[in-house]
Amino acid sequence: MTRREWIALVSAAPLLKGAPSSPAAPVAIAKCDSYSEDVTTHLATMFDQLGGLDRIVRGKTVTIKLNMTGSPALRIQGRPPGVTHYVHPKLVGATAHLMGQAGAKRIRFVESAWATSGPLEDYLLDSGWNVRQLLAAAPGVEFENTNALGKGRKYARFKVPGAYMFPAYDLNHAYEDTDVFVSMAKLKNHETCGVTLSLKNCFGMLPASIYGDDAGVDEPNENPTSGRGKTMHDGKRQPSRSSPAELDPSSSREPGYRVPHIVADLVKARPIDLAIIDGIESIAGGEGPWIKGIRPVQPGVLLAGLNPVCTDAVATAVMGYDPRAARGTAPFQTCDNTLLLADRHGIGTTELRRIEVRGTPIEKAIYRYEG
Amino acid sequence: MLPRKARWIAALAVMPLFASVPPPSAWVPARWTWTNPKTLDLLSGTPINCLLLDSYTADFASRAAARGIVTLAVFRPGADPADAARKAVGAGVQGIVLEGDFPTGTAARVRDALADAHAIVIELTSRARMPLGGPDPIVGTYQGVWPGVQVLENGAARAGPSGSLWIDTNTGFIRSVRAWGPAAIWLGYLPPAHSVITGERYLEAIGDAELAGARWIVALDDDFRARLERGDAAALKDWRGMAEVLEFFETHPDWRTLRSYGKLAIVQDPADALLSGGILDMIGARHTPVRAIPGQRLTPESLKGATMAVNLDVEALSADQRQILKDFTRAGGTVLTAPPGWKSLSVPKPDQITLDNAELNRLDDIWRDVQTMIGRKNLGARLFNVSTMLSNVVATEDGQQVVVELVNYSAYPTDDVTVQVLGAFKHASLLTPAGTQKDLPVYATDEGGTGVDLEHVSTCTTVLFRLKE
Repeated sequence: MTRREWIALVSAAPLLKGAPSSPAAPVAIAKCDSYSEDVTTHLATMFDQLGGLDRIVRGKTVTIKLNMTGSPALRIQGRPPGVTHYVHPKLVGATAHLMGQAGAKRIRFVESAWATSGPLEDYLLDSGWNVRQLLAAAPGVEFENTNALGKGRKYARFKVPGAYMFPAYDLNHAYEDTDVFVSMAKLKNHETCGVTLSLKNCFGMLPASIYGDDAGVDEPNENPTSGRGKTMHDGKRQPSRSSPAELDPSSSREPGYRVPHIVADLVKARPIDLAIIDGIESIAGGEGPWIKGIRPVQPGVLLAGLNPVCTDAVATAVMGYDPRAARGTAPFQTCDNTLLLADRHGIGTTELRRIEVRGTPIEKAIYRYEG
Repeated sequence: MLPRKARWIAALAVMPLFASVPPPSAWVPARWTWTNPKTLDLLSGTPINCLLLDSYTADFASRAAARGIVTLAVFRPGADPADAARKAVGAGVQGIVLEGDFPTGTAARVRDALADAHAIVIELTSRARMPLGGPDPIVGTYQGVWPGVQVLENGAARAGPSGSLWIDTNTGFIRSVRAWGPAAIWLGYLPPAHSVITGERYLEAIGDAELAGARWIVALDDDFRARLERGDAAALKDWRGMAEVLEFFETHPDWRTLRSYGKLAIVQDPADALLSGGILDMIGARHTPVRAIPGQRLTPESLKGATMAVNLDVEALSADQRQILKDFTRAGGTVLTAPPGWKSLSVPKPDQITLDNAELNRLDDIWRDVQTMIGRKNLGARLFNVSTMLSNVVATEDGQQVVVELVNYSAYPTDDVTVQVLGAFKHASLLTPAGTQKDLPVYATDEGGTGVDLEHVSTCTTVLFRLKE
């Protein structure tokens, strides 16, 4: 991106107006060329730039939603998923370590593991992660697979004020039994949503037991073995009747409409307190090995922010896109812009000129993912 | 007429012993299309000691024998092979391989024809015609699947987030054959035609057979053979890699005969077990150690140490055998029995070695129940980050040592593999074909087992767990 393009981008008139009151919060960017660098130090600096981790986590339960999309068996050229489409375990360990140092009482890593309700620890091991090292990274580290009821006794219901798609979502208790919620995402394109960052990562909160293709019709299926394609992407079936039904079953069944709206709803219902985006190594062209034309990339960048919309807006700009681009414009050629939908929900602003970037400026962090 | 076993012994006793000839159980076979004795130099430093020859010369056979290499002339269905076999033995080859499905009685006739020469006759038949449980020290088949990984979605090759990896393998078939007795098992399938076959793929073919206790008859594609003949450096490197993997398994012949460490047994009609991709392979893909028990060989001893059994051979079991399963459940074991009438939909065709769609659908009926029964239980071992691998978990009779063999079918090595076995073992060590032999730190697992972490798995890796140093 040239300086002229950059100035044009930050000063452009909004194409779609967000909520007038959408808040803005600073976003920290750090250059980090590889996972063999001192990721912990980079991260510590970024947290300091955001006002310090202590004030956010001291004495609190922190729940960190990881991005581990798709089966861990699927790899890109045999590479560990952490250097392609999953967040990297080194970043996860560094985050736990710093949160432990900052006085977090409990650090709970969560993800709705692909097509299973088994322990998240098994899923991590299958991904090549060292669970024992993560447990030792800080006191009070634990794991929960949120693809079903898990260790909870009942699902937590999250109502969506001004919902687009569903009036409420039933999620694993871990998303409720927490003081701080963190979305740890990967800097990637997404076939359905254009980009997948800290907002889109929250689509993975949905338990397949209720929202999966083999969810029970009336009650959750506590042993789900499939994804959410038919229910949430395509709207070909409704979630289990135990959970609130879609507001308007006659609305568009197009995934490019549905998924961005559902994601915006989810983040409205379960606010994100801290967004961390792993762009050290990643993939471009899609979210996982099953997308044709993906390619490994090394943007060499980490992002963090206290507002997920602001963080994703900056991350989208780092990827070389306009975070306020309308449908039809890269990277949102075939979908609605999740960031704008979240902005319209009043979660955070997508206007770059309102977002203070700390650490590395966007123009020095840009890595073009292309259209 | 001497019984067949006695003939084998007699044959070995009179083999030309220019150099020491290993027993048939130690023969490491390869197909050899060259007749130039100079090509025997390629075998230096390799454990290959048995050549299958489509054409031969007396000079070649004699030079090979001088190196302690057994030569076998290969005949295929067509003209009656008895005369040609006599001629071949007269030229100095030490045995005959009948490859293909000859008319019934052909092998016996060839043996009779060679009775005076005490030459060896090995049959490489279709899977369905293998003489299981017989006296032959070597049983073999010309059929096999070329091992490798493919991505499947609902059984069809397709990429998607729900895709899972499936490994084409012969291991389930080999396990079911091994259950019939101690004969050495040879797989004589060829590399796929019109394909680019990398060195790694050959290592996978060797590893796939060795993992379950068989030997693949090394067979090179035309391109590799031509490059090897002209001394191409890359081909020679691949050849040395193959020799290294062969040597790795040949220096540990005991691994082939150790007992399964699994607590899960599959009682199965042998006819079903002859097809690849069936229940044994499905369980193998889960890395659940499993022992195969042919219905005819179900005994209390065969179930010793097992806690779960899947009975797929309901109607073929005798009243006594059904009683054995009842006693097993009374002793605390769990038996999953296939539904009444659950049986093969059709008799496999002679050229069929994998399940067709109807058979796969039929398997789904019971596979869900098997999965539920196994769940996440540790039935001997649990392995993680091994989706591109298959494993074999065996133990010494005294339980002092457990051997976990891994074969990686990916073109890429895998980092950070976790192996957890049942039992409190104090020591573990890592062995690889490249000569690595190092101690691994062990840790206790939540289930009272022992775990180790492997940094890196290339094509073949073995972990030895020991109670004592």
